[in-house]
Amino acid sequence: MTDAQALPGPLAGLRILELADETGQFCGKLLGDLGADVVKIEPPGGERNRYVGPFLDDIPHPERSLSFWYYNTSKRGVTLNLETADGRVLFGRLAATSDVILETFRPGFLASLGFDYESLRKQNARLIMCALTPFGQTGPWRDYLSSDLLHMAAGGQMASCGYDEADVPNAPPIAPGGGNAWHMGCHFAYMAIMAALVYRTVAGQGQYIDASIHEACALTTEAAIANYIYRGEVLRRQTGRHHAAAQTPRTQFRAKDGKYVCALVAGRLNLKYVRDLADLLDSYGMAGDLKEPQYQDPAVIAANTSHIIDDLVANFIASLPAEEVYHAAQERGFTWGAVRAPEELLDDPHLHDRGFWKQVEHPELGRSFVYPGEAAIYNGSPWRISRRAPLIGEHNAEIFCDELGLSYGELSVLAESRVI
Amino acid sequence: MSRPRALENIRVVDFSWVRAGPWATRWLGAFGAEIIKIEWPENERGRLPSTTTPQHLEVNLNTSGNFNDTNVNKKSFSLNVRSAKGLEIVKRLIAISDVVIENFSSRVLQKWGLGYEELCKIKPDIVYVSMSGYGHTGRHHHYTTFGPVAQAASGLTYLSGLPDKPPAGWGWSYMDDTGGMYGVMCALTGLYHRNMTGQGQHIDQAQMVSSVPLIGPALLDFTVNGRVSRRPGYPPGNRAHWPGTPLVNNYRGPRVAPHNAYRTHPGDYNDWCVIVCHSDEEWQRLVQVMGAPSWADSPKFATVIGRLQHQEELDDKIEAWSMTLEKYELTERCQAAAVRALPVQSAEDRVEHDPQLRHREMYLAMEHPALGLHEVQNSPFELSETPAFNYLPSPLIGQHSREIVEGLLGYSHEEFRAGFADGTFWPTTRARFPYMEEMLQ
Repeated sequence: MTDAQALPGPLAGLRILELADETGQFCGKLLGDLGADVVKIEPPGGERNRYVGPFLDDIPHPERSLSFWYYNTSKRGVTLNLETADGRVLFGRLAATSDVILETFRPGFLASLGFDYESLRKQNARLIMCALTPFGQTGPWRDYLSSDLLHMAAGGQMASCGYDEADVPNAPPIAPGGGNAWHMGCHFAYMAIMAALVYRTVAGQGQYIDASIHEACALTTEAAIANYIYRGEVLRRQTGRHHAAAQTPRTQFRAKDGKYVCALVAGRLNLKYVRDLADLLDSYGMAGDLKEPQYQDPAVIAANTSHIIDDLVANFIASLPAEEVYHAAQERGFTWGAVRAPEELLDDPHLHDRGFWKQVEHPELGRSFVYPGEAAIYNGSPWRISRRAPLIGEHNAEIFCDELGLSYGELSVLAESRVI
Repeated sequence: MSRPRALENIRVVDFSWVRAGPWATRWLGAFGAEIIKIEWPENERGRLPSTTTPQHLEVNLNTSGNFNDTNVNKKSFSLNVRSAKGLEIVKRLIAISDVVIENFSSRVLQKWGLGYEELCKIKPDIVYVSMSGYGHTGRHHHYTTFGPVAQAASGLTYLSGLPDKPPAGWGWSYMDDTGGMYGVMCALTGLYHRNMTGQGQHIDQAQMVSSVPLIGPALLDFTVNGRVSRRPGYPPGNRAHWPGTPLVNNYRGPRVAPHNAYRTHPGDYNDWCVIVCHSDEEWQRLVQVMGAPSWADSPKFATVIGRLQHQEELDDKIEAWSMTLEKYELTERCQAAAVRALPVQSAEDRVEHDPQLRHREMYLAMEHPALGLHEVQNSPFELSETPAFNYLPSPLIGQHSREIVEGLLGYSHEEFRAGFADGTFWPTTRARFPYMEEMLQ
């Protein structure tokens, strides 16, 4: 371990209160893994996302949700019923000494308990409060219900993802999986919170942030909006490649092992590319006629684009395992990649070189598990998973008694009254 | 605008190009940082090639619509950094800046003599964010990416599609958008850390690597349970579970039905709605919205297990109803009854028909000197004290060179003119735009 790895994370010293469900828990993880003290406040009995699978050994239990585990690393956990008088008193005390509140309740809920931002800031002018909700705090859809799939529809993701008619006739627009609507919202929410924190280092005061997942998704379709605004174009869905106003050549090819390779060839076939491609294919004896001098003429290349892509490249890829194509091509400067399933990443030596995979201890199970690591390496203030996701109310005594000064007698009264 | 900006007095030297890097610095600009985009027309990527130039305009360095949207809130300084003189000038700029950000391949800045150690000599507390494909460390640091390749190699592409079909993947460079998100998140986090400790640092963000934390539960299902994603029924299209396959979780929340996309009236390309029922109560409310058809009384649809088992039939029946309604009308009817439904929206739908985005002013028009008046995408959050907003259209190439060279760096006008004559600020062999001639007056 180098000295740098022993340094605190960049957000060390910050206290975050997270009152977030599946829509916002990733934002809390982003903050916690970078060193903030994130206190997750759950309702007594635990947050409902603890009941979302997959589960450890497929046994459903609120302490065994792998989804909950993943999205709640580096957090401490307390339980608190905000709809009780005692719960409100304790929350008010926590809010008075925190830097950031991240909340995902329906618009108006916290205000109905007396915890609107204006009230909270009277006790704590430095407080930053971020409400991350499906549609924001205002507007005609403010109170609409949502889900990850709904956001991927309205945000524009689905309109861009799907299949060529030749591959899957009458295919629906497709929503990529994995909860990415929540990721998009959380990335933008993190950004807004950090901007407010940077401002606070200069101005000394906090502020209120109203962040919208729908808008975050609507911003995440690359050039689709520009295509419409500047050219009036509505783009069509294509198998495994970019949406387009008019059909483009395929970029996804089946390899010998049945896996796919993403090979960006079309639109790049200049003289140098064709020479390099001929060399790559020739190193496997698959160049066909591509080494012939006629291919050093742009007109010949243009006339044979379909032959190059659909015969030569397709046959080359079909003759090798996907992973071999990926590395052989990249080593020669081609921007190609194997389409990997998640489990195949564990074998990626590059990720191992970067120390990407982390062992996370689950002391209550006497086991440790491998978790994915950091999106970026902070060389001066490292990212780390400081602890596995909290058990239900795991830090109630630590936070309510040791930090806020409640007695253990009071704590047990609160438990009996279902306040915690 | 008299309101304070979150990043007031922060200056960013922006070497980024194409999409991911510029998408990052756009947001730093929206928070009020001064973004100085270093460009050189001979090896520019982002303005050209352009597929978003309005049909009535010539395609040139200043007429890409997508470049405009991706590069609002920035200034452009055309500078040949590969010349000794250009390098000296950019070092003077870095010396009075807070952040250096770039998205080249891993060794480019180092080759220019601007690696992190060199940057520290120029500005000891610099926050340096590199946004490469595979990062600056690791054996494949020299590999290159575009969004689709990062998505493929990281597992993201595999999450998208119908079972037993090729991956549908992502119909755009999701990881250019999201790589950009991580770039700006790194810059802001680095700035916060610098303000608190006085220490700068190099943050090594990598597009392919940043994709992997987005598939966490699928990875844990493998590392903890040993379950692979190459399995029957995965990915499950738009469903939470594909009927007739083992009843395992597919990493998109609870397994429920209905959970799908349904065609709507009049059946055109983007006439689809998605509907999701998270509970029996929500299902019963949907039944009422559909007019309580007799088929919905069947016991096989009364339970979530039954609806999952009979999903094909359930989806057919729902679609027979959804085809009778236009997608916004269906949405309003469902949502009025507390049923989860939203329309599939194309770009046109979002800009023209989405009442929520209109209310939240997501698309506000801005005048650009070459493109004219067009809507630009706004921020998805409102900050009460330091609003984030677009205040400059994207720069024409080299539009702010004089302002930066003379105003910020203190060179004389004669030195500025000399830099044009010797090819430091614009290639001598290349025609100048009229606004450059004006700068040289």
